[in-house]
Amino acid sequence: MMSEPKTGAREGAMGFLTDTTLCIGCKACEVACKQWNQLPADNFGYTGNSYDNTGDLAAETWRHVSFVEQLADDSGARPTSLKAFQSNWLMMSDVCKHCVNAGCLEACPTGAIVRTEFDTVIIQQDICNGCGYCVPACPFGVPALSPIDHKAHKCTLCYDRLRGGMEPACAKACPTDSIQFGLVEDLMERASDRVENLRQRRVDGAYIYGDRETGGTHGIDGLNAFFILTAPSETYNLPAEPELPQDKTFPSYASTILAAAAFAIGAALSLRGK
Amino acid sequence: MVTESSGFQRRWENRRARARSAGDEAKESYYGLPVIHKPHWDWWIIVYFFVGGICGAANAIATLARWHGGKEGESISRVARYLSFGMVIPSTICLILDLGRPERFLNMLRVVKLRSPMSMGTWILLSSSFFLSLLTVDQARRDGLLGQDNPLVRMLRWMPVRLIDALGVVPSLMLAGYTGVLLAATAVPLWTRNHLVMGPLFLASAFSNAAAAITLILGLRGRSVEGARHRIERLDLLAMFAEVALLVVFKRGLTRTVSDPLETGQTGKLHRYGVLGAGIGLPLLLHGKSIIGRSPSGRSVSIIASALVLIGGLAFRYVMVMAGHRSADDPKATFEMTRKRD
Repeated sequence: MMSEPKTGAREGAMGFLTDTTLCIGCKACEVACKQWNQLPADNFGYTGNSYDNTGDLAAETWRHVSFVEQLADDSGARPTSLKAFQSNWLMMSDVCKHCVNAGCLEACPTGAIVRTEFDTVIIQQDICNGCGYCVPACPFGVPALSPIDHKAHKCTLCYDRLRGGMEPACAKACPTDSIQFGLVEDLMERASDRVENLRQRRVDGAYIYGDRETGGTHGIDGLNAFFILTAPSETYNLPAEPELPQDKTFPSYASTILAAAAFAIGAALSLRGK
Repeated sequence: MVTESSGFQRRWENRRARARSAGDEAKESYYGLPVIHKPHWDWWIIVYFFVGGICGAANAIATLARWHGGKEGESISRVARYLSFGMVIPSTICLILDLGRPERFLNMLRVVKLRSPMSMGTWILLSSSFFLSLLTVDQARRDGLLGQDNPLVRMLRWMPVRLIDALGVVPSLMLAGYTGVLLAATAVPLWTRNHLVMGPLFLASAFSNAAAAITLILGLRGRSVEGARHRIERLDLLAMFAEVALLVVFKRGLTRTVSDPLETGQTGKLHRYGVLGAGIGLPLLLHGKSIIGRSPSGRSVSIIASALVLIGGLAFRYVMVMAGHRSADDPKATFEMTRKRD
């Protein structure tokens, strides 16, 4: 019997595999993204959070490398030996997940957010009117309104480069192939092999974030840009089991309609003459 | 227009809690930084929720009063209809100015998306204002505002008013309640945790605000409409009791972390004293004598009470939106909502 596929990704879907065990925190992806997409510098500041002065994904920042220096082990003591890969120093290049069922896309009231022929999710800048509803509708905090043009922006998975037969700028620039681009089904297979290999090499915590089991859960059904992580997802600021917010729309409408009927009856009764 | 005041801050503006090191903060979250982005919504959307709610509920009240209210229902209906019509324009203005690119408002009308409450809301506002405009014109004709006997008036007599009334009441009711669904269908913990209660809660508040506004107008118009005022006041009380019940249900379903913005800080204070105290508790107290004695309240009491209800209604929307911002900024709340469930 065929086993259930690990992701709900449609046939021919293109995506990213970001393998954090290979990331060296060089931020070449951030720079390459800014340069290719001509994204302006944003409010550059000092965070005091390890080497992460980028902070988060935003309207002008579509790749964001997070840094977690694990100073203490679970018991609170300083570790006396370094773990294999990343040596107690976790780095992860975060990006738009290009969800199989995307909250931002379903929320968009103008149809500006569409799914491309590569099964990626983009915001058409000539249509977006900056209503900002995609911003809280994303369970990963990806889209954001730009303070410059007041429209919503996020990673396009380099739609223009894909059209030209090239891989996205970040994947191209990544010196360790921590960021890999390709067909989601191929990448998922590669990721499974890699996780097995890592486990054999005693990285017991390695797992895929973005299959149907973790990350792409509760209606999202998988992420076309997924990750290999070695710590709980929350360490990297990723929700463990996010939900697709729009799955709540119809039940909420139903309860509202019931309440509306009750109120109409109540109003009619209290307005009735004696 | 979007302002720089909210939604645009970069995350290092969410400073670490005092006396906590980066290492400590990194243990349970990513340096205490938000997981999700909060919306940019502030006053435009808050006022839109308020006037839009009144617009929808007032039109529904106008129709119901006309159908079931007898002669006194007519005077309620008249006030409610004009009030509702008066709220359409500020609603639309707020909705448009809230956009980052207001000149592109019409792009909202490119698509109909049932699962997007923002899309449905635009269509709900549009259709309810269409029916409402026709009904207001009819009201104006019957009030003699369009003249007595001219071609326009003669043509308007042919309008199927009962049908328009029946068709208009549906989008009006949805306009009063969909704003709760709009908040519920997001990733913001405070709004989505109890998503089934959000729509009914906003609906109840809209009804009580609209009834209060009508009461206020009838109260200011003097003794001639005393009977009508007493009846709309009954509806206001009913809506307020429903609102209290729904608020209890809403808050009982929240965990301590998720409900924190409603308990602490500025939004907590405003929720306790503004929404619950001044907006619901005080008006109920003022009406206490009439509730127990089953006799209508005096004119001055009812004017003060309904003004308080209206202030409370605006405060309720302010609190829900701004507490939502705080909820979105709190990684603990998001993690709690998305923790592995077996």
